[in-house]
This record gives sequence, C-alpha cells and structure tokens, in this order.
Amino acid sequence: MADLEQKTKQGASRRDFLRGSGFAAATAVITGPAIASLDEAKAAEPEFKIVSDTTTLKLKVNGVDRTCEIEPRCTLLDTLRNRLDVTGPKRVCDRASCGACTVILDGDLVYSCTTLAISCGGKKVETVESFDSGVNSVPHAFVQNDGLMCGYCTPGFVTACKVMLDHNPNPTIDEVRKGVDGNICRCGTYVGVLQAALAAAKTMKGA
Amino acid sequence: MKAFEYVSTASADIAVKALGGVDGAILAGGTDLLSRMKDYVTTPKRVVDFNPQSVVQKETSPGGVPTWTILAGTTLADLLASKALREELPALWQAASEVGTPQIKNMATIAGNLLQRPRCWYYRSGFGLLSVKDGKNLLREGDNRYASIFHTDGDALFVAPSSLAVPLIALGASATILGPKGERTVMVSSLYQIPKRDSDRELTIGADEVLTKITLPAPQGKNATYEARQKQSHDWPLVLASVSLRFDGASVSQASIVIGGVAPIPYRAVEAEKAMFGKPVTLETAEAVAANAINGVKPLSGNVYKVALTKTVVKRALLAAVGNRYWEEV
Repeated sequence: MADLEQKTKQGASRRDFLRGSGFAAATAVITGPAIASLDEAKAAEPEFKIVSDTTTLKLKVNGVDRTCEIEPRCTLLDTLRNRLDVTGPKRVCDRASCGACTVILDGDLVYSCTTLAISCGGKKVETVESFDSGVNSVPHAFVQNDGLMCGYCTPGFVTACKVMLDHNPNPTIDEVRKGVDGNICRCGTYVGVLQAALAAAKTMKGA
Repeated sequence: MKAFEYVSTASADIAVKALGGVDGAILAGGTDLLSRMKDYVTTPKRVVDFNPQSVVQKETSPGGVPTWTILAGTTLADLLASKALREELPALWQAASEVGTPQIKNMATIAGNLLQRPRCWYYRSGFGLLSVKDGKNLLREGDNRYASIFHTDGDALFVAPSSLAVPLIALGASATILGPKGERTVMVSSLYQIPKRDSDRELTIGADEVLTKITLPAPQGKNATYEARQKQSHDWPLVLASVSLRFDGASVSQASIVIGGVAPIPYRAVEAEKAMFGKPVTLETAEAVAANAINGVKPLSGNVYKVALTKTVVKRALLAAVGNRYWEEV
C-alpha cells in the first residue's frame, strides 16, 4: 500500500508555507523569485529543451517506480490506463468535467484527463488501487452505503472522499458536498455517496 | 489532440524565448488549453509548460500603501489557503472559492484563470469568437441564454469567462507581462477587449508574451463579491459583481463596481459607481444604485433574465461589503 502519510505532509507543508508568508516585510523581497528566475535563465543559455517525439517518462505510481514511453500529447489518464495498466481512474468526459479520472498527484487531487503526463516526470501518483479496502476504509463505506450503481464514477468519488477525509476528519454534510464537488454520478447515487463519506469519517475515527 | 512540441520551464524569460517565432501556447493548469486542444479549437505547434512558483505575498513599503503580489503560477487552492488574503481581499477570495471544483482549484492558476478563453458553445465548437456563419450571428439567432446583455450591438456576444478578473479590476489590480521587448505593466481591465473582426482576440496579451504576476494595492475600505449561479458548483456564475468601496465616515467616497457574465469584457458599472458616491450603503441605497447598473442594457432573445439578476447581484455585493447578508437570514 502507498505511503499516504508522506503525501498528506507534503500537501500541508506547502499550504503552511503560504500561510506563513502572508506578510513579508522588505520591499525587495517581493520581486525576488521573478528576478532570481530571470538571472538563472541568462546564466544557462541556450536554455530550453524541446521535446517533439516520444520520450521516457518516469514516475512513481502507487509507491512503485514506473517507466514508459510517451508523446508530449499523452494525458496522465491515458498513460496510466493504456501504458501502465492502472485502470482505476476512468475515462468518461475527458474534459475536466466529471471527475471519474481523479487521482492524487504529489498529494493534490487532480483530473488526470487534463494533466499532461510529460509534466508529471518524477512525481508521485496515487490511484484508488492503492487505498486500504478494510472495514474502516472509504471503499468499504461506499459498498455498505450503496454509494454506487453502475460504478463508473466510483473510483473518482472514493479518491475525492479519501483526500477530503485526510484533510478534514470531521466533515459536515456541506463540507462533504464541497469535497466531492468535482465528481458527477450519472446514476444519481449522491445520497449514498454522502452517507458513505460520513460513515467512513465515523469508522476511521473509531479505527 | 494534435501532436505538439513541448517545452517546460519555471522561468518567464525562457518561456518568452520558447514562444518566439512559433505558433505557441502557454500551458498553466491546463484545464482550459488542453480541453480546447482536444476539441481542435486551438492547435498550437508548441506548448510551453510555464510552471512558476505559487506565491501570494503582501509587501509593506515604508510610508506607502502595502502591495499584494500574486505570482502567475499561484494555484487557486493556494490563493484560498491565505488567511490574510481572505481577510483583506474578500472580493477575490469569495470569487476564487466558487471557481471550479477541488480538483480544478489544485490545478488552475491565477494567470490561467485570467487568460482562459470564452466558454461560448459556438466558439468551443469551432465557429470562432464572433460565431458568424453564412452572414448570420449564431449566438444572436441561436441559443444565447448565457450570452452578453451589454455591448451587444457588435458580433461579439460571448461573455468574458474569468471570475477572478472581476474582483481584481474592482480592486485596481495590475498585471505584469513579459515579452520579447521586455516587461510591461497594465491594469487587469486592459487585458481584455471586444473583438470586432474574426482575426481579433478578446485578450490584448500578445501570443509571444507571458503574464508573470498580479499586483494590487491593499484596499483602504471594504470589498466583496456576490454571484448568482444556476448550478451550485462546477460551473461559471450566471452573473457576478465585485465591489470595492472607500468611506468617508459612513458615506462612500469612492466606489468600484464591476460585473462579470454580462459582456464580452468585465463590465464596469460607471453610473452605479457615481450613484453610490456620498451615500451610506443601506438596503434602500443599494437597491437604487443597483438600478443604475443596468442603464444601457440590451439583452438578447434568451437572456432577459440576466437584467434582473444583474440588479440583484450588484445590490447584494454592495450589502455584502458592509456585512449585511440579509438573504441568508430566513
């Protein structure tokens, strides 16, 4: 199973940094990052590498280092499903609208259908396959609470619910709704999904 | 989607160089560009993945007004995580909180939000920004329920899609742009124009330029955004209004009122701003001021409802700025 703790920590530390940096004092500080990047650019001419053909992608999927050949236009979703045989994330709308392709990329919930695989080199991807499915888990709560009918949207919903509960172990029903805002179920099992999320929150606390 | 060359950089300088002399496009969060590429609405030869830092900062300068700086790569999730921003720029925070979904907030950046292309279904189906076919304007004669109600004399009838442009313009924000000839800074309102010909774009930023940061002076008064939407989430608002107010005692001494979802550019309600001058914000004054916001309105066949919505949204944005959220009290 994947190292989920590390993922949560990573996500939190970036946010914490931003919170902390809300009030910077010196005048010069503000343009620092932009100026620094310009100087670096000048020092390292000729500066950019053009990838126009297939290239080797290395990324960590569910805790395992994976390598495959991709074109720049390959999405993360198609790369996972078609080249790495990680078929938990589903291809439904393919336009960042339905959430069936939801994965966790370096700790953040994203739509893998609208992420270029080539931009994910060296990153950590976690999909529904890596989740615990024991009695105190989100997947189990979905089964117990009828959180699915055809099941096509379910991996996305489970992933979104899991990340939401990692960040907020005691959600209200409105917070659950916000947490799964980015996922759509054509069968309309929303009541079951919301119940499953609340039930998972309860059992995860008890665990 | 069509094959393309790919360049990845965190440096604006390199991004500008990589865009030079080719049919290129900047990739930010990707939620807009990749969808357009999949639909063959946009087919760049080179995609420049510009992935700068995600940083929100407030800088105090001795003797001057403090300045907020939001670097181009700031994700909406990071914007929303800033407590100081939530307290001081509620207009921006509220608008950002309603954009997209948790996934989109993690992916989308402030620059990508400001420079996203219109969501008009004729544009997205390949009929161009003006959506004219065989001499007919498809949006004027077709399904225009989400289209403009202001500036509707021309052929550009889509609505400017960026929810964050509206509060940023109300707050007097500037955008810094890097191009082959160097850096320039423009008001956020100047990023947008109404296209007149098919070859025009609705964005003023050049194809070889990169938006690097947004800066705005710390507001001296109160500000807020209110939006009306058809779906609770995962959609653009039908109409949203942002207000930034300065006070002299209890009366408004300066008002910025900007409305989104009503025109091909973020729409400044100048007459409403004038009407707000010298008055306190009460239920009565807000209603009267909002009535001025719709002067000159010319809705299309299917969006007359937006006129009433605009009045309500402006009224509620004004009242939200002074903490009167009467519509939440049931």
